[in-house]
Amino acid sequence: MILFAYALCAVSALILIAFSRTHQQLNTIAIGQGVLYLAITAYVLFCVHIPVETFIVGSGYFFIDHLGLFEVMVATIIFSLSAIYARGYIENLLVSGDLETGSLKLFYAAWCLLELVIVLAFFSDNLALFWIFAEMTTIISAMLVAILSAKENIDAALKYIFVASVAMLFAFVGLIFLFEISRSTSGNGTLNWTILMQHASVFPPGMVIAAFAFIFIGFAAKSGIFPFHTWLPEAHAKAPSAVSAILSGVLLNVGIYGIIRVFAIVDQTTAVAAVTPMLLLFGILSIAIAAISMLPEKNLKKLIAFSSIENMGILLVGLAVATPLAVFWVIFHVMAHAFTKASLFLSAGILHRQYRSQLSADAPDDIHDVFRFQPLAAWGIILGGLAIIGMPPFMVFFSKFFILLSLGSVSLWTLALVLVLIFIATAALGYFVIRMFGRVTPPGESVDLVPYLTPLSMKAPIVILLSIILILGIMFPAGGSAFISQIVTELKF
Amino acid sequence: MTDPAAFFNGIIKILFVCVIITAAYIITTKNLITLVRVYALQSLTLVAIALALYWYEGTTILLAIAIITLVFKVILIPYFIATIQEKIRIKRDIEFHFLSPTSSLLISLALMIVIYITLSRILLDTLIKGSLFFFGAVIGISLVLMGMIVTFSRKKAITKVLGYLSMENGVLLFGLFATELPFIIEFLIIIDLVILILLTTILTVGIDSTLEEYHNRLHRFYLWEEREESP
Repeated sequence: MILFAYALCAVSALILIAFSRTHQQLNTIAIGQGVLYLAITAYVLFCVHIPVETFIVGSGYFFIDHLGLFEVMVATIIFSLSAIYARGYIENLLVSGDLETGSLKLFYAAWCLLELVIVLAFFSDNLALFWIFAEMTTIISAMLVAILSAKENIDAALKYIFVASVAMLFAFVGLIFLFEISRSTSGNGTLNWTILMQHASVFPPGMVIAAFAFIFIGFAAKSGIFPFHTWLPEAHAKAPSAVSAILSGVLLNVGIYGIIRVFAIVDQTTAVAAVTPMLLLFGILSIAIAAISMLPEKNLKKLIAFSSIENMGILLVGLAVATPLAVFWVIFHVMAHAFTKASLFLSAGILHRQYRSQLSADAPDDIHDVFRFQPLAAWGIILGGLAIIGMPPFMVFFSKFFILLSLGSVSLWTLALVLVLIFIATAALGYFVIRMFGRVTPPGESVDLVPYLTPLSMKAPIVILLSIILILGIMFPAGGSAFISQIVTELKF
Repeated sequence: MTDPAAFFNGIIKILFVCVIITAAYIITTKNLITLVRVYALQSLTLVAIALALYWYEGTTILLAIAIITLVFKVILIPYFIATIQEKIRIKRDIEFHFLSPTSSLLISLALMIVIYITLSRILLDTLIKGSLFFFGAVIGISLVLMGMIVTFSRKKAITKVLGYLSMENGVLLFGLFATELPFIIEFLIIIDLVILILLTTILTVGIDSTLEEYHNRLHRFYLWEEREESP
């Protein structure tokens, strides 16, 4: 029933989109869908007993457990806020000619469909079904990247599709392995996650390592882990900022969610000893490559995109520790990173509209007098930047702190290495902000720049996201920690 | 006439050789029209393998897989790509990215040996059905990796798409031999494949552009020019 409600919302949104004329109407539909999804999720969260066992849910294809609900909640919040942001942002893209009016319906249809597919992906119990939905999210979000009528966008979208889809095929080979494992151990093969978790302890370790390695390739590419991260900076930087926020805040989570689920199965077997060093290695490599690429970066959105790679690396490192405490903070970091990164991309979108380069999207940003023209976006970048590097009292501070603390209990040298790399990334971000925001035209000289009148609909989501990460950082509700503890228990760490 | 098992063995072995030959052809050829035809031929070989398995094992799912592979991968997708090629008038993809055809072939040979050794270690205790199924799994994964070489070593998007399709054939072959997949999954993958191909071709060509614009957009096929190395 619950899934029907989600699907019904999306279908009616698509029908309404087909009949609406103006951008205002289209955007209102997208916001409406986001808010409705949020309402349904809140209803499930507070009024329904989890895990849900109803008609379609619980039939072996779909289920609602705490982790899925958690991810859906994060996703719907970001979707709703990005839809509100898009009201002003897309309007401006239309005025400036970056987006053709003809593509508008396609854009919003893809937007609404993406939201539905992501919800279904998070509620899939069958791993093959999850694979299909994850693959669909790649295709639909690539459409959202390519929607701007520029050659770079189509290039970035194609690169995204090819890297992610090719890697996802490897994940499918891994799923076939997993299917064969369950068939040879329990008689009839299944890819149902709940059943796999029950039988995991008798799986042969050699096969499990092979299965995990293949599946990891696929989902690592979806979440931008080194060496499959090459598509990420391009796609995140070229996409419209409202879409960048979703790519970074929601779609990277889809990949990490897949890794968490499959790793939970591996954690039940003896193969875990061979798999954790692999996670640790790729996590550290991702942090390293992101930190080093961030140093010379002159494009704000690319810088933020590389910071996403860094955070995905931190998540892998936390997962590699595999203690209940570490996994608790990994789940927390998924949420903290999603909100913080979304706010950063939304702020960067305002600056991008103000200072966009006429030549190419690859050109370095020419940001100056930022506090005079866009004070809110500037403060959004500064506060969001402080939050993402892990300054207290923002949310990311706690998750980073405890993940690193758990890492320290495993190996002090690894901790030292990761700390140095995170420091480089932090320095790169700080250097960029100080250098760019410090450029002020002396008073008296004229500045030939038309101030971009930022509408309220673009400002409000940034303020809301920043307040969320601040308030949840200062006082995280007890129910929230109980909820995340419940996730860790269900994952059997 | 010998007994059915030996006959089945012989047939499957011949078909394996056909698959490997088509894969080698896809890696090395420069002519795009032949490329599509060879891909169709490779899919047809898979149909034959699925039919042979159906004849041997009698599972209806295998028949269903054979039919939908025939409809989509032998007829519809190659036809669609050939039409697109005709419209945008690309005949040859002579640019190889990092690898020359010879080194690609050598690398794929090496890959097959590596996969053979690794798989024989992993699968030895579980896959006791017979060496034929083991060979099927090895060739399946080799096909996946050979397709990946095509996807990453060619420059034009259409060739990349064909590399991806060839990878998918490898996954199907692996799935056929390693285990019995539920039909619904195979069907969903085909749907996914069709959407992906539609989208990539629409992106590269632009569905509503005029003929002059086709030529303007031709340069869009040169993806990842020098930016491949940049992270």
